Amino acid sequence: MKEKLEKFFKIDRRWIFLLLAVVLFVPILKPLGLPNKTISRDTQNAFNYLDKLPAGSFVLFSLDYDPSTRPELQPQAIAAIRHAFKKNLRVAVVTYIAGSTGLIQQIFEKLPAEYGKVNGTDYAIFPYMANATAVMTQMASDFYGIYDKDQDGRDAKSLPVMKGVKTYKDMAMVVNITGTSMLDFWVAYVGDKYKVPVVGGVTAISQPGYGPYLQTGQLKGLIGGMKGAAEYESLVKEPGKGTSGIDALNLAHLLVLGLILTSNIILLVIRYL
Amino acid sequence: MKFIKKHIPLLIVLVVGVLTLASYYVPNKYSVDYLELMNKWENIVSAFAFLLGLISLFYSHYNKIKRKTDGWGYSLFVYVGFLAMVVPALMNGGRQMVDGQVTSLGWSFRYIYNALSATMFAVLAFYIVSTAYRSFRIKSAQAFVLFVAAFILILGKVPLGQIIWDSVLGWTHTGIDQVIEWIMSVPAVAGKRGIMIGIAIGAVVTSLKIIFGIERQYMGRD
Amino acid sequence: MTEPWMIAGAWLAAGLTIFLFSFLYRDNPFFKIAEHLYLGAGMGWWFQVYMFNIWKPKVWEPLMAHQWGVIIPAVLGLSLVTQFIPKISWLSRYGFTFLMGYGAGLAVPAGLSTDFMNQIAGTIRPFSALASMTPFAIFNSLLIALGVVCVLFYFFFSVEHKGSVKKVSNVGIYFLMVYFGAAFGNTVMARFSLLYGRFDDLASFSSRGSFYATQIILAVMVLYFLVTGFTKKPQQGEEEAH
Repeated sequence: MKEKLEKFFKIDRRWIFLLLAVVLFVPILKPLGLPNKTISRDTQNAFNYLDKLPAGSFVLFSLDYDPSTRPELQPQAIAAIRHAFKKNLRVAVVTYIAGSTGLIQQIFEKLPAEYGKVNGTDYAIFPYMANATAVMTQMASDFYGIYDKDQDGRDAKSLPVMKGVKTYKDMAMVVNITGTSMLDFWVAYVGDKYKVPVVGGVTAISQPGYGPYLQTGQLKGLIGGMKGAAEYESLVKEPGKGTSGIDALNLAHLLVLGLILTSNIILLVIRYL
Repeated sequence: MKFIKKHIPLLIVLVVGVLTLASYYVPNKYSVDYLELMNKWENIVSAFAFLLGLISLFYSHYNKIKRKTDGWGYSLFVYVGFLAMVVPALMNGGRQMVDGQVTSLGWSFRYIYNALSATMFAVLAFYIVSTAYRSFRIKSAQAFVLFVAAFILILGKVPLGQIIWDSVLGWTHTGIDQVIEWIMSVPAVAGKRGIMIGIAIGAVVTSLKIIFGIERQYMGRD
Repeated sequence: MTEPWMIAGAWLAAGLTIFLFSFLYRDNPFFKIAEHLYLGAGMGWWFQVYMFNIWKPKVWEPLMAHQWGVIIPAVLGLSLVTQFIPKISWLSRYGFTFLMGYGAGLAVPAGLSTDFMNQIAGTIRPFSALASMTPFAIFNSLLIALGVVCVLFYFFFSVEHKGSVKKVSNVGIYFLMVYFGAAFGNTVMARFSLLYGRFDDLASFSSRGSFYATQIILAVMVLYFLVTGFTKKPQQGEEEAH
């Protein structure tokens, strides 16, 4: 009996791989119909902060994630930008991760047209820049000192969307969605230093690490992982990949809990047998 | 020679470091001008740092091909991948979209780089599951606390888990999302904040050591 | 890009995705090819981003317009590359010290204020509003304060964990464990989300419009493993990816 159990314990792990693949793939083909229902406090705060801005306010989006974290962060970015467009806010996008330029392009391929937004008039996309802290510091005294042109090579200062914007003082808030430690930089080098409200969107992995900033108000809100994306999507009433993603994750989450419990129960039985 | 090789670099780090530090506490026209110049220059210098990674990757795979080491043929694909991005970029001047049409650069991003990069990291999902099965052992009170926190988070983040919680513990009138909220905003904050303060002290000390030339490992050996 | 290009793209992306996943079963040449392509493609993408976003507009074009000021950062930047030439590698110190001095100069005040002062203030501040707080909120604030102190004890008195110090730092470990547990739980979700992203793409490549790219490539891979499994004995260690 004991040996049998031990054998079960040393099962070829490829069986576990297969099990995970099945429980994650099947719900994609046949959704369970169990979408996210709860809204966490931090996502609600992020939403509220953006929601109460008057139309025409200038919001800087720093989108710093590459394909490796796309499934979690792209839906967050899309939901937040939809929100900004719905509220008729002015949107500018910057990035400090080279891999994100392609993903930013994909967001703005179709989204602006849905809301009748025009590149240069209602939103602007700026090129990738190296050394994030240097650029963040520069934007405190003169945005155009670094971003003299937008992504298409147009003179940045004369774009209608940039009218009256020169430093952080002219911006209503910064939204940083990132799979790196870029949000730490935004909080330390911009939020705290120049008193700019910062809202973050991060992967589930780094989400617990931002608890201290949320408690002190150094962060005004936080969207965390795919659940955060699903929450924001339901707040803006535009279900997307976050919503369908949560539905697909249901079974996989139970699988991992089942495996941890099984292995520990087997361990207990082996010990006391 | 030692002066040029060692003392001037140490002087650079000292002067740039002290001036940058001072400009934080003494904001005036001169410090802003100084910072603006530095910001623009640092932006450009950092952009060249990327070449370090590129050259070392190319160099190591070039050596593998040259020496015909085991599996050298695969190294050729490093260059194939590189060209698959750079050639379309040169053809389109770095633009992914022209007149509402995806260019070959946009195509390469979507179907090559995106697929590869995303899958490389997606593979980790399989390992975390098998690690959870094989190595997540509840052997001590501390491990039990870790397990409880992890269990509640994994369960409560998905709707199915919330349903299970409500059917078993519904009588408590406390939703699992409220429990998660509490974990994340009270004990986890305490744990993380302790780490944060510890790291901050370490980082400030290291930064000061760098500015004053006490820490100079990054300069390499003489 | 035209329709045939999009279909070709679906096949390519589905293929590369399945090749990388195939490592989970066993190491194989398809995986190795995809892995090396990844290294090159990543570098290639970054290279063109740097080229068209910084080197060209920030260095080349100003030089062409006779703005000689950019020579200084450009030379400092290029000096970094001398690292690979042992004889003149000391030149790279000019670039590195320039980067490090600035970074350290910015980091000191930011670290002090954001992660040190503000965190201590955030721990104490709630107690200035005790009168307006619910008992539960007071309890939470006390718990955070207690936890922070205990964790700091654990870190800073690591040498002499005896008597009461040991007790305090032991309590600190429990707070750390809750944090790590929460982090682990969230990591599971994050990893699954990434896998979902790939599976979702594979599902879309399995459509008729993509000529069933996913199914066909998957079938070919299975066939490959079956054939190689029968014809050659798996080498030691290659059998499964432990």
